[in-house]
Amino acid sequence: MDFILLVINSFSLLLDPFNLTYVILGFVIGTIFAAIPGLTATLAMALLLPLTYTLNVETALMACASIYMAGMCGGSITATTINIPGAPSSMMTALDGYPMQQQGKGALALGHAALGSMFGGAVGALLLIAVAPFVAELSLLVKTTGKFSLLAFALIVVVIAQRGRIPQAGLAACIGLMLATVGLDAMEPITRFTYGYSNLTAGIDLMPVIIGTFAIAEVLMQAASSRDISAAAAAAEKVRIRRRDFLPPLSDIRKIGFGCYFKSCLIGYFVGTLPGAGGSMGSFLAYTEAVRTSDAPETFGKGNPKGIAASESANNAVCGGAMVPMLTFGIPGDPITAIMLGVLVINGIQPGPQLMSDQAGLIAPMLAALLFSAVVLIPLTLYLIGPYFIRIVSVRKDVLYAVIALLAVVGSYVATYSTFQMFMALGMGVLAFYLRRNGFPVITMLLGYILGPNLEEFLRRSLALSNGDPTTFFTNPDSLFFVVLTLVFVYFLVIRKPADKPAPAEAG
Amino acid sequence: MLFNRHLVFLYVTLAVSVGYFISALSLGAPTSDGGLTPSFFPILVGGAAIVFAGILIVQKLREGADAAATEGPRSYTHLWVGAAIFAYIVAFKPLGYFLSSGLFVFALIVIFSSFEKLVIKAAISAVITGVAYVMFQQLFGVRLPTLWG
Repeated sequence: MDFILLVINSFSLLLDPFNLTYVILGFVIGTIFAAIPGLTATLAMALLLPLTYTLNVETALMACASIYMAGMCGGSITATTINIPGAPSSMMTALDGYPMQQQGKGALALGHAALGSMFGGAVGALLLIAVAPFVAELSLLVKTTGKFSLLAFALIVVVIAQRGRIPQAGLAACIGLMLATVGLDAMEPITRFTYGYSNLTAGIDLMPVIIGTFAIAEVLMQAASSRDISAAAAAAEKVRIRRRDFLPPLSDIRKIGFGCYFKSCLIGYFVGTLPGAGGSMGSFLAYTEAVRTSDAPETFGKGNPKGIAASESANNAVCGGAMVPMLTFGIPGDPITAIMLGVLVINGIQPGPQLMSDQAGLIAPMLAALLFSAVVLIPLTLYLIGPYFIRIVSVRKDVLYAVIALLAVVGSYVATYSTFQMFMALGMGVLAFYLRRNGFPVITMLLGYILGPNLEEFLRRSLALSNGDPTTFFTNPDSLFFVVLTLVFVYFLVIRKPADKPAPAEAG
Repeated sequence: MLFNRHLVFLYVTLAVSVGYFISALSLGAPTSDGGLTPSFFPILVGGAAIVFAGILIVQKLREGADAAATEGPRSYTHLWVGAAIFAYIVAFKPLGYFLSSGLFVFALIVIFSSFEKLVIKAAISAVITGVAYVMFQQLFGVRLPTLWG
């Protein structure tokens, strides 16, 4: 209850013009990046990461929350109007959004998408605010062996969730773990894999990893891509959207039903709590459920607003869900929460069970901004600049990528004022580029890199505490719980092959 | 087909994994007095990476001719972009922010478009460089290198 009150009080921080400017700016930037096919809100956040050095941590986290929320709903703009999802999480929205656009109801489809996003974002944020403190309290019960089993569970789930490319995901996770072992050992004064470079003694910094993986790799991907979006830009020029058509009629909302919205939110939220699943998986499952329970399943894919509502409610509810493991256990659910984790780490804050009790004052404003973005900024942005959003596609790509590359390279210099970090960012960018080009999911590499140090430390501590007895992982109840949970996920995701579902798409 | 670009990447990954594994072994015995040493985890990770890389190479070799047939047209623009970023980092401190960034942005605009309307592109580059300077140095207090110190 104290935490809920703290979140309510944190809304006062949004009255500060400085904070409000960053939240609004973050939302607009997130929307723009999500709307442009090929760019993502993850990229926007990676570019803005260096700037968090100069901001106070509350403001930085509030801006991150608004970028996250914007990134989930921004992709629906181009998905609906020109059938090119700006973000992977809006793939399902395009199925019904674009047919509505062809029927001359594009603005109405965007209105439904915004309403679904608003509802999903708000329910996800409210569930997060209500649930996170309890999960944090529960997480205090998890001791060293349990922590190892939990981290191993997260890493294994991220790998096996990449259906159809599990060996690629496994290798990418190993590469991330390899990067995590560079530098001084956590328990003994021994340097590993530095090969005489003193710059590597402290390990590979998070900043160049994030900037390289998401920003530089993206610029390289775009350079290597032969995709010509001039046709999309030309199509965007022809689209005319009027503000007055945005508002969905009450009869439509009644037809969709509160149950559909709420069920989709719950699906999105719980999918979000699973490491690596992400918005695309959430919207897919919610859409499938909406079709399954519909009286007229044949209307889906032909412009049924219920499909848009289910997809958008779910992908925005993912935002709240994905923050639960990040805040309570320090396990990011997707690339954006991984960058948020980076913001915390850069500011010397260790995510984990103690975070919600010791530094709740830092976290509460972020959750307030998440809720504010969902309830106020989504509808407001759509109404004010919605008619012009579609023009975003026409932005000059040569200038855009030059700006992204400049911000990325100079941004990696900011942390230490050293060109070594710039070279590291380039190296990580090249690595991530080749991984993506060869079908490797970079999220598993990033999670391997982030979770690696704790995974190793808890493994060694657990075995030291048990005098080298590996059965300790099965005799401690907290560890046994996560071992069983891992086996359950392995059974459902690998052994008992489910129906053909898409692997979670990369947000980066 | 023993060599296509996917396989070359996997061979490189395998070589790096083997190198990492050997380096991990050189750190010493994985266990000592019933506890784990700093080499245990890297040996485990290196071993797993070798296994995954091996599986992927075998999978790719089995795909064989099909994979070769699906290779798309090659584009080398990313190599130019990578080279431009490398040159920019090398020149960043010696040339200072303005000159190095201006040339870098101009080069990228040309790489992503065409070798036409160079004056306009140079002017755009100058504006982007200036705006980014104001953002980093003035707005966020980041000290960027300049020729005048």
